[in-house]
Amino acid sequence: MEKTIRGKVFVVGDNIDTDQIIPAEFLSYNPADPDERNYFGMHAMSGLPSDQSGLPDGGVAFTPEGGFTSEFAVIVAGRNFGCGSSREHAPLAIAEAGCHAVVAESYARICYRNSINGGYLWPLEATDRIIDKIRTGDEVALDVDEAELRDLTTGETFSLKPLGDAADIIEAGGVLDYARRAGMLAD
Amino acid sequence: MSTGTLYDKVWDLHTVRTLPTGQTQLFVGLHLIHEVTSPQAFGMLRERDLQVAFPDRTYATADHIIPTAELARPFGDRQAETMMQALETNTQSHDITFFDPDSGAQGIVHVVGPEQGLTQPGMTIVCGDSHTSTHGAFGAIGFGIGTSQIRDVLATQCIAMNKQQVRRIEVTGALGEGVYAKDIILKIIAQLGVEGGIGYVYEYGGPAIEALEMDGRMSICNMSIEGGARAGYVNPDATTFDYLKGRKYAPSGAAWDRALDYWRSIRSDADATYDDVVTIDGSAIEPMVTWGITPGQGLGISERVPAPDTLPPSKQAVARQALDHMDLEPGQSMQGVPIDVAFLGSCTNARISDLREAARLLQQTEGTVADGVRALVVPGSQGVKQQAEDEGLDAIFRRAGFEWRGAGCSMCLGMNEDQLQGRELCASSSNRNFIGRQGSKDGRTVLMSPAMVVAAAIHGTITDVRTLL
Repeated sequence: MEKTIRGKVFVVGDNIDTDQIIPAEFLSYNPADPDERNYFGMHAMSGLPSDQSGLPDGGVAFTPEGGFTSEFAVIVAGRNFGCGSSREHAPLAIAEAGCHAVVAESYARICYRNSINGGYLWPLEATDRIIDKIRTGDEVALDVDEAELRDLTTGETFSLKPLGDAADIIEAGGVLDYARRAGMLAD
Repeated sequence: MSTGTLYDKVWDLHTVRTLPTGQTQLFVGLHLIHEVTSPQAFGMLRERDLQVAFPDRTYATADHIIPTAELARPFGDRQAETMMQALETNTQSHDITFFDPDSGAQGIVHVVGPEQGLTQPGMTIVCGDSHTSTHGAFGAIGFGIGTSQIRDVLATQCIAMNKQQVRRIEVTGALGEGVYAKDIILKIIAQLGVEGGIGYVYEYGGPAIEALEMDGRMSICNMSIEGGARAGYVNPDATTFDYLKGRKYAPSGAAWDRALDYWRSIRSDADATYDDVVTIDGSAIEPMVTWGITPGQGLGISERVPAPDTLPPSKQAVARQALDHMDLEPGQSMQGVPIDVAFLGSCTNARISDLREAARLLQQTEGTVADGVRALVVPGSQGVKQQAEDEGLDAIFRRAGFEWRGAGCSMCLGMNEDQLQGRELCASSSNRNFIGRQGSKDGRTVLMSPAMVVAAAIHGTITDVRTLL
């Protein structure tokens, strides 16, 4: 997965639970079926209340009506991102929409681990509260190795916590591929 | 770091080795699976031509999508039928025991595991479901995992994990009348916050916890995840052992005695050290209700809905959003708020003692469901349902105007036909009041104990159950 990402940012608040990331009604799509898998992208972040969807103004759809992919390359979130249900469909849905990075103040543990283990996206942690300093639609540049998010629209730079060893797992495409690459599993 | 706790002991006993990432490779004693999060994991096994390493440590049931009104196959919902068929095929081809609806043992995975005696002290237990923390009630370390981890466990019976810190939560005193295990955990989450437990495992102890039967301990451990803690547990004791004795998958004969020795040995030592200790006065806990959109937004029934600007800055935005969504005003009491639906069910509170207490209240008050309120009881398992019917509880519920349903997750998350409509407000014994959780994006959820659900159903408004006693 690319370690430098450039594109538009989608901003959400605190305690974004996995029911908001992908509502339960869409869990009956089968992620193993390529045609049905597309629908996770279509419905990613669709459980957000309208006024919380794309801060500060709200009312922004993460994936446009009827579309399968999002125009947003990075999600910026507040505390406790991905709390609630353990559904791995949550990071999968974000990734299916074409978005491969989240920058949050903190994560619920299961969602954090799912993001890494499945190799879906970079779950980066901010060192500061940045959801009040960045606007949905701003152009941003994310550098995973440098642990840095730059808002190109405002010129402001935010430092992030280094991902550490988790980066190797994501880069390998998930924990199984990582284990194989590290010689811990037979081919 | 903690030392000498049950968590430390069980962790060490299940450690295979330290991985290059610094994580621990942990052996998994029991793997529970259900229809929603497992199909893709089996798909990934097939892609890589891998087998299930320990089918005899893997058990399946169907709960999330299962209809609770009409079980005839094929299910009316085509996608539910597809998921059910996938689970049937996967369990058959990998020789995994499946508690299907014909077995008489089907139900919510966190009700079924304990009921069958599969959940035992000192085990590591995983399931692709966040409420796997429930099993900690037996002194097991149970935690929810994602689908790629289900794949890992199916293929290797191991999981890569980072060790967490341990916070001891001591609940002192005795609970007052009308106050239950659910109120304890709602109080804990209100006090410590929904993210307060991130990076921690919770050890619940103290007189108010030790006095609880297993069903109550399960309600508490169940909602550990709502406080951010991936696992929570209670040290096993005579109550635990009495519950397990004679259950289908519990050890018997000489194996029982060996098991008892092991179960006693993994209790936290008297001189165990913790990373944090929190003490809560159990005798001061009132019946709790949530007023917002996270399980941490809870208050005692005699308290008032807070004004957002009186809260810590980090809680103000979500409080404003909550008041707006719930249509509540600061300073308002939750008592008297009208309800549309009363839901008695879920892996938190659909066990036999929950149903007994609810039925007892109905009988004692001779109450019936208020006009305009839809009330349903969804037993946690077919076993619970059968037991309740043997005791005549179903007749009490039906007479009072409750619908008596089959076992499943039902309206806790609205993946089957049991969903809120529009702006409906639900008095719910479940675990999550997230926006949209019960199937309607505009629907509203107020979490409470089963007894409080009954009180609300009878009055048609949120009511302090103690006024009925």
